Amino acid sequence: MVILEANKIHKSYGNKFNKQEVLSGLDMVIEEGEFVSIMGASGSGKTTLLNVLSSIDKISNGTITIQGTEISQMKEKELAEFRKNHLGFVFQDYNLLDTLTVKENILLPLSITKMPKKEANQKFVEVATELGIYDVKDKYPNQISGGQKQRTSAARAFIHEPSIIFADEPTGALDSKSASDLLNKLSELNLKRKATIVMVTHDPVAASYCSRVIFIKDGRIYTQLNKGEETRQTFFKDIMKTQGVLGGVQNEH
Amino acid sequence: MSINQLIFRNLKKNLKNYYLYVFALIFSAALYFAFVTLQYDPAMDPTKGSIKGAAAIKAASILLVAIVSIFIFYANTIFIKRRSKEIGLFQLIGMTKNKIFNILIVENFFLYFGSLFLGIFAGFSVSKLIIMILFKITGVEGIATLRLSTNALIQTLIVFCAIYLFIMSMNYVFIKRQSILSLFAVKSSTEAKIKKVSILEMIIGIAGIGFILIGYYISSKLFGGDFVTMNELLIAMVIILASVIVGTYLFYKGSVSFIFHIIRKKKNGYLNINEVLSLSTIMFRMKSNAVLLTVITTVSALAIGLLSLSYISYYSAEKSAENYVPAEFSITNIEDAKRFKEALLAKDIKYSEEIIDVIQVDVNVENILDMSMEGMLVDPNLMTLAVISEKSTKDTQLSPGETLFTGYSDVNQKFMPLDDSGSIELKSQHEVIPQQLVGLKKDTIVSGFFSYGGLPVAIVDETVFQRLKDDLDPSIQKKASVYIGIDILDQDQIKAANDIFKEIGFTNIKSYDSRLETSNYQKQNMGLMMFVVGFLGLTFLITSGCILYFKQMDESEDERPSYTILRKLGFTQGDLIKGIQVKQVFNFGIPLVVGLCHSYFAVQSGWFFFGSELWTPMILVMVLYTGLYSIFGVLSVLHYKKVIKEAL
Repeated sequence: MVILEANKIHKSYGNKFNKQEVLSGLDMVIEEGEFVSIMGASGSGKTTLLNVLSSIDKISNGTITIQGTEISQMKEKELAEFRKNHLGFVFQDYNLLDTLTVKENILLPLSITKMPKKEANQKFVEVATELGIYDVKDKYPNQISGGQKQRTSAARAFIHEPSIIFADEPTGALDSKSASDLLNKLSELNLKRKATIVMVTHDPVAASYCSRVIFIKDGRIYTQLNKGEETRQTFFKDIMKTQGVLGGVQNEH
Repeated sequence: MSINQLIFRNLKKNLKNYYLYVFALIFSAALYFAFVTLQYDPAMDPTKGSIKGAAAIKAASILLVAIVSIFIFYANTIFIKRRSKEIGLFQLIGMTKNKIFNILIVENFFLYFGSLFLGIFAGFSVSKLIIMILFKITGVEGIATLRLSTNALIQTLIVFCAIYLFIMSMNYVFIKRQSILSLFAVKSSTEAKIKKVSILEMIIGIAGIGFILIGYYISSKLFGGDFVTMNELLIAMVIILASVIVGTYLFYKGSVSFIFHIIRKKKNGYLNINEVLSLSTIMFRMKSNAVLLTVITTVSALAIGLLSLSYISYYSAEKSAENYVPAEFSITNIEDAKRFKEALLAKDIKYSEEIIDVIQVDVNVENILDMSMEGMLVDPNLMTLAVISEKSTKDTQLSPGETLFTGYSDVNQKFMPLDDSGSIELKSQHEVIPQQLVGLKKDTIVSGFFSYGGLPVAIVDETVFQRLKDDLDPSIQKKASVYIGIDILDQDQIKAANDIFKEIGFTNIKSYDSRLETSNYQKQNMGLMMFVVGFLGLTFLITSGCILYFKQMDESEDERPSYTILRKLGFTQGDLIKGIQVKQVFNFGIPLVVGLCHSYFAVQSGWFFFGSELWTPMILVMVLYTGLYSIFGVLSVLHYKKVIKEAL
């Protein structure tokens, strides 16, 4: 089942005289239960793509449909409503509220939906144990490690079982051990909960945990790689190769 | 780009960004200049009246300098903190610290003195309005003229130059001490680290509330008879002040976060958006601002308390005059009374008259006294009281062994509590007449001249009165022994009668009183007090409101990332605003409520010295204060609205 469909999306910044096109007619389809990563060099438009897909930014042209609902035409209020029910976020800099404990941070999305307390608590216990942060539930973000913070952030994204989870460089600020921990947990949750995850990264290792990698260049899809039956190692090598071809600067003779 | 250009551009940019600093300056300068203008204005002389009045104004102007400088310092700290990044950038491109400091000096010079002159101009324009208000409340008739006083101008300039130098040295220290890195990071390091609520904090929290309650408890007992000597009273007052102030500090340091912690614990992690935005942030921020909030609370309590007290005495001026002078006019000489009456008749003013014989007798009240008089100035065995006969009153019937006390006021009740029955002794020169006290009444019958300004007056049976009168102790008698009360029948003619009273020169005779004069005198005295206190109160209200508002502006910048997260999670702007409103109710409400409570207990403990009405004037002052104060809360919510809108 298709969960997200982007059709010829354009996004440009600046004014009439100085226009900078970041996304130029990009098409994309994501199926339910997929773990997709978006890769590309700096300035290729990855983060902009993630922002427009996740309704935080508006597109200039085209359509984006999530679970059959077109979000590109929605009003601010409807968008907030949509985000709270259908989307989850994991960010590079964790984006946890410093004044709330781990548990309070994780339960935040449920408090918007006004879920009964008991049910919420049960969900919390489930997701926190899965991510291995149950022990630190009463600590504040500045008392736990970066890896724990990012897992807290992930738990917050998963707890309300959104249709799709967006992750922006989730491993960007983590050391390699915490990063692989987190990625393992993410793929576990992806399999176990059939959660759809879209992740932006420039780290080939992180991308190799996904089932599909989309490469972007200059606001367009450059190529895609499917993991299929490959092992993670060989998939990683494929990604490296593609990235090498993709390059940063075009070599014009 | 030359340095001058840089300064100029910075100035232009900062004027827009830091309008608050400019506002703070203009406001303080205007206020101070207006006040100093009043101080030097010759039109003020009649209201100053005595040396006391002039001293009050002088003291107030010093206090004003203190408030204004704290206010400007605070605004400056926020101002420089916000610019720390810019300062760091200048250093990064190779400017020396001294050069940066020079830029700041020049820039601030224009900003500061520009606003100062604007402020002086504004202050000059409103000073006429202010002086008109002053005349109105003190009842002085005069014409307010607008006059630029050079003295006032010089004084204002000197004070603000001193503040400028001080601010600059503060900035100098700030720049000197910071490294480039810390200047870039200064924004995020100002608030205390978030930690879990510890046991120590709980103890602090409970202790804070405990101290405040102890202070309140002692204050309610202050004039209740438990503390009688001057020393004890003084110690009690110091204890009250100390425990309330320390308690307030601990309250902000621990109690608030402790209470909020309990509430949060109950929620078991499941917080709704209002709680996320209010409880959790206030819990941590109140702590780091404990000193500031304590100062704000204490001084607002002081302002509300003083305002209430002075308004109480202004409000009840007429009533206290009535207590002191029971009739419109009181005269203690038959001849003089006759002259006055003739003058009244000549002007066709109708009057009624009451003549009462008053003698002074030593009374032993030891048995009915409700407290020990040790260390007091008055000897309960020999208290000299005025005595009148039952015949002189309209509705009192006493048997020869009975005595009734009248004119038993609220102050008496506090300082000299008497039982309403019991045995007393009236001592004339040679004999002692035992009497039974049958009651205490509040009405005053003779003027304060006879009752030593407010002691009770004894009413006895006619036969006893004659016995006492025949055997008087001449050493304790007053110069006069007859009270003549004259009431004017037509209320509209009181003023004319008063003019006659003045014309004959009776106002200069100490034992003669006019109720209107007494009331006016008190109004004039208290009016000036009220004006000075009101001016300071208003200044403080506005400065503390502004400081809280600045703080909220600062906080909103710090919290902007949180709003971004929350909006990404799907909270609408409306949800966030609702949460912010709750937060502001706490942020502004807690200091206000604590301040109101403090002032309530302060006023409660001693209001009876100032007048006879407590509730109406006090509540009026409190409501007014709360109303003006809330404006700042509303303004801060509006500011947050803007920040939240821009957050995503």
